[in-house]
Amino acid sequence: MIEPPKNREPRAWSGEIPLTSFYTAGAGGQIFLHALKTQGKLIGTRCSPCEQVYLPARSFCERCFAELVEQVEVKRTGKLVSYTFCQVDHNGARLRRPVGLALVQLEGATTLLLHRLLGVSEPAEVKIGSRVETVIKPKTKRIGSVLDIEGFRIL
Amino acid sequence: MKAMPDVVRGTPVNTKEVARGKVFTTSYTPKLRYRWDEGEAIGRYLEEFREGRLIARSCGQCARVMIPPRMFCERCFRPTDQWVYVKDTGKILTFSLCYVSWDVKRLKQPEIPAVIEIDGASPGMGILHVVKKIAPGKVRVGMAVRAVWKPKSKRIGSVTDIAYWEPIRK
Repeated sequence: MIEPPKNREPRAWSGEIPLTSFYTAGAGGQIFLHALKTQGKLIGTRCSPCEQVYLPARSFCERCFAELVEQVEVKRTGKLVSYTFCQVDHNGARLRRPVGLALVQLEGATTLLLHRLLGVSEPAEVKIGSRVETVIKPKTKRIGSVLDIEGFRIL
Repeated sequence: MKAMPDVVRGTPVNTKEVARGKVFTTSYTPKLRYRWDEGEAIGRYLEEFREGRLIARSCGQCARVMIPPRMFCERCFRPTDQWVYVKDTGKILTFSLCYVSWDVKRLKQPEIPAVIEIDGASPGMGILHVVKKIAPGKVRVGMAVRAVWKPKSKRIGSVTDIAYWEPIRK
């Protein structure tokens, strides 16, 4: 029997995986972001048979796979369906100030939109079911990103 | 666009449109760091590379000699029993001629990754490494090869302490 070497330290190998994603908005996302950037409007697409209005707009119905061509403007106001406060960022580092995230059903849409919850810093200030309003950045600051929406403000 | 199949419906995007900002995009680079612990069996295995030796683990029940070594026999569901030195020669069990590098650059001269069945270990027990010093067209399954070690001062306790494997010419 061979004895293991003495004074051996346990070893670990460290490394990094280089990875960059590049995501195009797609045909539906293009409609949504274009309207948001140029007009500050929230555009969805309707599937009449399924009684759905998808927001952001998408190019096909995920229930019946039909192509969606009917565009619908959705209101900026809606209802807070759920929320959370993030204590860490996406790399796991602790945030100095927790970030509120809101899941909102806007009037006219059947789907939910996830974005920042503005103006509050703790759960005691938030009530599920509250009416909220979408805050959109001024036109000069809009670049055609979902971040052209600042977030949701409780009314 | 010749390679594009006819049945795909969708909206193709070209790089010009992307460059002109006509297409909305988002890009993200996640921080993907890892730390992999060698563990008991691989730790010993790699440590032996510094000495220019290959070590395996044997199981007393199925009598297999396993390389890379493991502390647990996956066939018998019991701990393995002994450390066994094996040779730094072997046979090509399978190989590939690889015309792209690991980071997907085209290569004129192919790399020859191969699984080397190690002499002294059980049949089919091998390690993935690289074969050199042979014309790509001449590589065959079953070919006898030997490890070419880096000089001792350059070894770090890694599988790359073997620079490559070369054919044994008789």
